[in-house]
Amino acid sequence: MSRIKDLQKNLFGGTASNARQSGMIFTLVAIVLLFQIWTGGLTLTSGNLIAVVSQYSYILILAIGMLMVIVAGHIDLSVGSVAAFTGIVVAKAMETYSLPWPLGIALGLIVGASIGAWQGFWVAYVGVPAFIVTLAGMMLFRGGNQYIGNADTVPVPRDFREIGAGFLPDVGPDTGYNNPTLLLGLVACAGMVWREWKARQTRREMQADVAPVWITGIRLAVMLGAIVFATLRFAGGRIGTSLPISGIILILLVLAYSYYTRNTIGGRHIYAVGGNARAAELSGVKLRRVNFVVMMNMSVLAALAGMIFVARSAASGPQDGLSWELDAIAAVFIGGAAVSGGLGTVSGSIVGGLVMALLNNGLQLEGVGSDMVQIIKGLVLLFAVAFDVYNKRQGHFSIIGSLMRPFRREEPPGPAGPASDPDKTLVAG
Amino acid sequence: MRRIITRGIASVGAVALLTLGTACSNEREGSTGTGDSQAKGFAKDSLVGVALPSKTSENWVLAGDLFTNGLQEAGFKADVQYAGASTTVADQQSQISAMITKGAKVIVVGATDASQLVTQVAQAKQAGVTVIAYDRLITNTRDVDYYIAFDNFKVGQLQGQALVEGMKAKKPKGPWTIELFSGSPDDNNSKVFFDGAMSVLKPLMDKGDIVVGSSQTDIKQTAIQGWKAENAQQRMDSLLTSTYAGAKKLDGVLSPNDTLARAILTSVKGAGKPIPIVTGQDSEAESVKSIMAGQQYSTINKDTRKLVAETINMIKSLQKGDKPQINDTKSYNNGSKVVPAYLLPPIIVTKKNAAEAYANDPKLAPLTK
Repeated sequence: MSRIKDLQKNLFGGTASNARQSGMIFTLVAIVLLFQIWTGGLTLTSGNLIAVVSQYSYILILAIGMLMVIVAGHIDLSVGSVAAFTGIVVAKAMETYSLPWPLGIALGLIVGASIGAWQGFWVAYVGVPAFIVTLAGMMLFRGGNQYIGNADTVPVPRDFREIGAGFLPDVGPDTGYNNPTLLLGLVACAGMVWREWKARQTRREMQADVAPVWITGIRLAVMLGAIVFATLRFAGGRIGTSLPISGIILILLVLAYSYYTRNTIGGRHIYAVGGNARAAELSGVKLRRVNFVVMMNMSVLAALAGMIFVARSAASGPQDGLSWELDAIAAVFIGGAAVSGGLGTVSGSIVGGLVMALLNNGLQLEGVGSDMVQIIKGLVLLFAVAFDVYNKRQGHFSIIGSLMRPFRREEPPGPAGPASDPDKTLVAG
Repeated sequence: MRRIITRGIASVGAVALLTLGTACSNEREGSTGTGDSQAKGFAKDSLVGVALPSKTSENWVLAGDLFTNGLQEAGFKADVQYAGASTTVADQQSQISAMITKGAKVIVVGATDASQLVTQVAQAKQAGVTVIAYDRLITNTRDVDYYIAFDNFKVGQLQGQALVEGMKAKKPKGPWTIELFSGSPDDNNSKVFFDGAMSVLKPLMDKGDIVVGSSQTDIKQTAIQGWKAENAQQRMDSLLTSTYAGAKKLDGVLSPNDTLARAILTSVKGAGKPIPIVTGQDSEAESVKSIMAGQQYSTINKDTRKLVAETINMIKSLQKGDKPQINDTKSYNNGSKVVPAYLLPPIIVTKKNAAEAYANDPKLAPLTK
């Protein structure tokens, strides 16, 4: 195998790698590049990156939950309404009973869990299709939001706003950067190096091909470069800003859910149910419980997203959450999930969501009106999925296939996926 | 999965390193906005951002066009953005952030939700941007600099006066029987309009010259949710059945805007009753036609052209480093501070002065001929 091929295989994860296979990642990079040039360098400024993260973190949080719902073969149309409902309940509770903010957040999560249990019950135990249950939920909780809030806007206290609009504090010596963000970057770098080393070790133990050292070196250098770059960007914003708190919440959730869906039995069950529910049930997967958990989890994440949005907006209003479900669903499908269920990854959905977010942001920086932005986003969604469908039909590698391949290769498919080396994914990204 | 992340990071990193040799450049220095940039003025060709609600009403579309042209004529770079129809608040938030990133010196905001822009306005302030609230006050923040709008209390007063004059012209001697309508309860302005009108009507009601037939005088009873025509029509239908089924005659109806006024008239006509004096607001084309046909009695002209022109004047003085013109420093408390405001006087329009009032309006002027 030539060196070039070696590089391709190990950097981009495919022997016949080409731009198409790496699908959305390249689209994302292309979009960043395009707008970086088009806006004269504004896209990658600290201020803009920070703004993008705090603007879209709640949609990306929804996309995580939506991915699991869609993989299990369902859909959730109620997330926007659930988010709005939770937002108004929390805002009202803090205003009326002057609830301290940690209790407010706890209350919000409880409300989300209860709503999730309600919807999960109908989907899993009564057998009403999720589309219908959540369509009902969409109306129910939108109405609930207006009923409780009187179609009015309710402000939230200053401390609570931190989860949506807050930043890491400036502590420690004056380095010209935000120190906690630098520290996080350092942890990420260390994690990356450790994971790479661990992966090599695992492959050696399993007597698999180990990539040449120089390739690992290049890959590591590129990744560390990216982390260092991002860290300096986020740490180097205006004084008082840093990586937003909502971004940190998002990263933690992405790491946790990536691990869950990939490396745990519960997570693999979701894929089994989405792939073939009957077969999964016969293999001993508790179908009802999986469906229940997936629906419930979605509502909890919706509640969290709703609170983050309310915190960022400093108030809960009657228009919160409108068409969020559509943004989340679009992110998941652009990120390579299959409409029929059983396929898709958390990181793919996040990339899909980032594609939409950066597209939106770039077009707004260029002063393109919201009408055109919607048209463009609609076309991107359609073409992204159509491209994938077309590729599959042509017998080429599909984007979905390419997105799925890495974890198919690393572990046997199916519900009994091993959690042999859980630690190695903990520090991804 | 790991490879996806790896691949993504690798590609992003490659791009980052390629496009930005100076990856370590730092924005910390030199961007410590203190918020008193207004005192110094700014370059004549600076960017001015205008964030407006979704294009649901003619007025906003017109305002957007006027801003684009007016700002360009004045030598500024204009960035006029509308929120999307279904995701208004989130759109407006990210649009304002984008304007700040692009280095706008002044941002004019027609808020979709008056109290959900606190974070963005604070961000603007820190970046040294002057924020002007246009038509709708931004609430719960100290970071909004100016407010510019038509005087809404005056609108209500004018509506009250027009109602009384109209009824007097038809029936010189009281007592007159009227009904009251007010706007949507979630719109701050509804109460202001209503209070303005009541400041004229209340003394006459106390004297007994004016009688509210249904005795529904509380704003909660008179409110029309969502400013919706069908709700107004329903309420009028029920009032006609409950109160005016017999010989009792309805002389006038206070309506806060044109859409509701037309709904009220439709209801009255449907019941076969004589047409009362009905007020309005907004100078909608249909209502101007109705006024010329002698059905609706009055409307209010809040000339968007003037409001936009005054806003641009305000931006021009900010550019020069002057204090912009302000005529109210007391009335508009947004919950955190009293926002200095420039209020424009509204104009009442009846059949008598319609031709004169709309002379400059290319769309409405032909209707008054």
